[in-house]
Amino acid sequence: MKIEIHKLQILRRTVQITVILMMLLVPAIARYANSVAADDIDSQMKSWEGSFQGNTLAGIDTVFRALPNGEMTRPGLDTPERDHQGVINYSRAFHGGPWSAELFGLSMTDPLGAAESIVARKHVAKVVLISLIIPILLTALFGRIFCSWICPMGLLLEITDKFRKVLKFLEIKTYNVRFTRGTKFALLVVGLISSAILSVPILGYVYPPAIISRELHDLIFTLFDRAEAKLLGFTFVGLTWMSLILLGIILFEVVISRRWWCRYVCPGGALYILLGIKRPVRIKLLESKCTHCVDCVVACPMGLNPMNNQMGAECDNCGACISSCHDDALKYSVGLGTATQTEEESDTMAATR
Amino acid sequence: MQEMPHNDSEEKAGRRHFLKSAIGTTVLLAGTGTVLSTFSALRKGRYPVAGHRPGLGILRPPGALVEAEFMAACIRCTRCAEACDMNCIQYFGPEAGSLQGTPYIDPVDKPCDMCLACGEACPTGALEVLTKKEDIHMGTAVVDERLCVSINGTGICGACFTACPLRGKAITQTLHNAPEVHSEYCTGCGLCESFCIVDDREGLRAIQVHTSLKEVLS
Repeated sequence: MKIEIHKLQILRRTVQITVILMMLLVPAIARYANSVAADDIDSQMKSWEGSFQGNTLAGIDTVFRALPNGEMTRPGLDTPERDHQGVINYSRAFHGGPWSAELFGLSMTDPLGAAESIVARKHVAKVVLISLIIPILLTALFGRIFCSWICPMGLLLEITDKFRKVLKFLEIKTYNVRFTRGTKFALLVVGLISSAILSVPILGYVYPPAIISRELHDLIFTLFDRAEAKLLGFTFVGLTWMSLILLGIILFEVVISRRWWCRYVCPGGALYILLGIKRPVRIKLLESKCTHCVDCVVACPMGLNPMNNQMGAECDNCGACISSCHDDALKYSVGLGTATQTEEESDTMAATR
Repeated sequence: MQEMPHNDSEEKAGRRHFLKSAIGTTVLLAGTGTVLSTFSALRKGRYPVAGHRPGLGILRPPGALVEAEFMAACIRCTRCAEACDMNCIQYFGPEAGSLQGTPYIDPVDKPCDMCLACGEACPTGALEVLTKKEDIHMGTAVVDERLCVSINGTGICGACFTACPLRGKAITQTLHNAPEVHSEYCTGCGLCESFCIVDDREGLRAIQVHTSLKEVLS
């Protein structure tokens, strides 16, 4: 049982890192598709050889050509050539980031973005509803797993959480100010109402996944723009001052309040909480095994108390409490509402997950 | 007279504390320095676009809703820019205020290729899905008779006619290859503007895509 949870944690970390890598890779893939469509790819790979941009293009090219339909042989030629339409089709499989993405033809949009677009336009478009299906289904089943598995800010804040321990070792005083958790719901409501009044979606300007999406897109596109102007190599000049918002959130987190953004402020998290309020997959405490060591309470990034066995909708099902428990007292359980389960039942259910 | 030495262990603890805070301060200063030096190198976004194409309106990608509705529906996700075949779609930087993150096309830089991938990529319907190039009405090309060499008599050109993807329909020619735009066919792709040989002191072309006419014409 213990090993499975560790495997789940490793999987979660892998997914989080993959998301960030994909956010860097997707704009590069888009520029690769542009180069292929314009038939510039070979000359660009040659003239940018050895630089960050050239290596990126060459890497994407190698991978896409190795996939089926990536190459073709023309009659009369021995060496296979790049199949333009084939590699462009592969490039078309990835667009966007955590704010709104298209993966292999599946369109997914953050419910916050969709909600803002709907209230600002005061009209429900069919494409919005289609792109909401997967996020809403997953959230209804598993709760706010976007926060624990996908959100790039979640990963950044988990890393800075470790930095708090470094500061503690250096005997630099850090604070853990607690705010009211209602703040995020208030921000969500105020933001949606303002969006409706202004007819402009405004929460996307403070919501970290949206900011990171745009910033990384800017960063990569600027790198390739610079390469086209013969300025090779990696720089950060594509980032805008919007990154300073992220930096502010991180600094506040390190010094003043642990995971303050996710716990108290994030409007997107608030919407995910509301959508996942009836989720069947929850964390359950087996009270007979619990020794009240409060390890889980310390581990919980959301600042909840798994020991009271009433993990509300705030829980993002990350499983940090389960892996911190030395007594196997915490388990994932599947079931509706607050129906109580016997130990054996929840054991078998956890084993099937 | 020499002072009495302090308690030894007390002095050691004080020294350890001093060492730790010194390390802490160094780390903090180094971190702040790195971050500040990184951010001081940043320019203001990818495109310097606050005063983009004054008087002509913003040229939105194909299938865009009317401007006010577009501003409401667009969630600034950059998916259209990533879907664009020829990298024609750019978008506003943070200094553009509420325009930030919304897409536009700069025809002088890169005119629209009309691949229509952006409409399919849009998750909110801010860009509607179009299937025919003839359905696009991003804007309308308008000839500046003062600047056009074929009209003002300084030469015979015809570049815009040659560049137009709907030549013969959207642009026809009269005497000395003087262009005549037919707004019912013009898609506003901007190819004519990018190929115009005139580039006056203010960067104006003799044929320019106006989007302010879009609402009037549709």
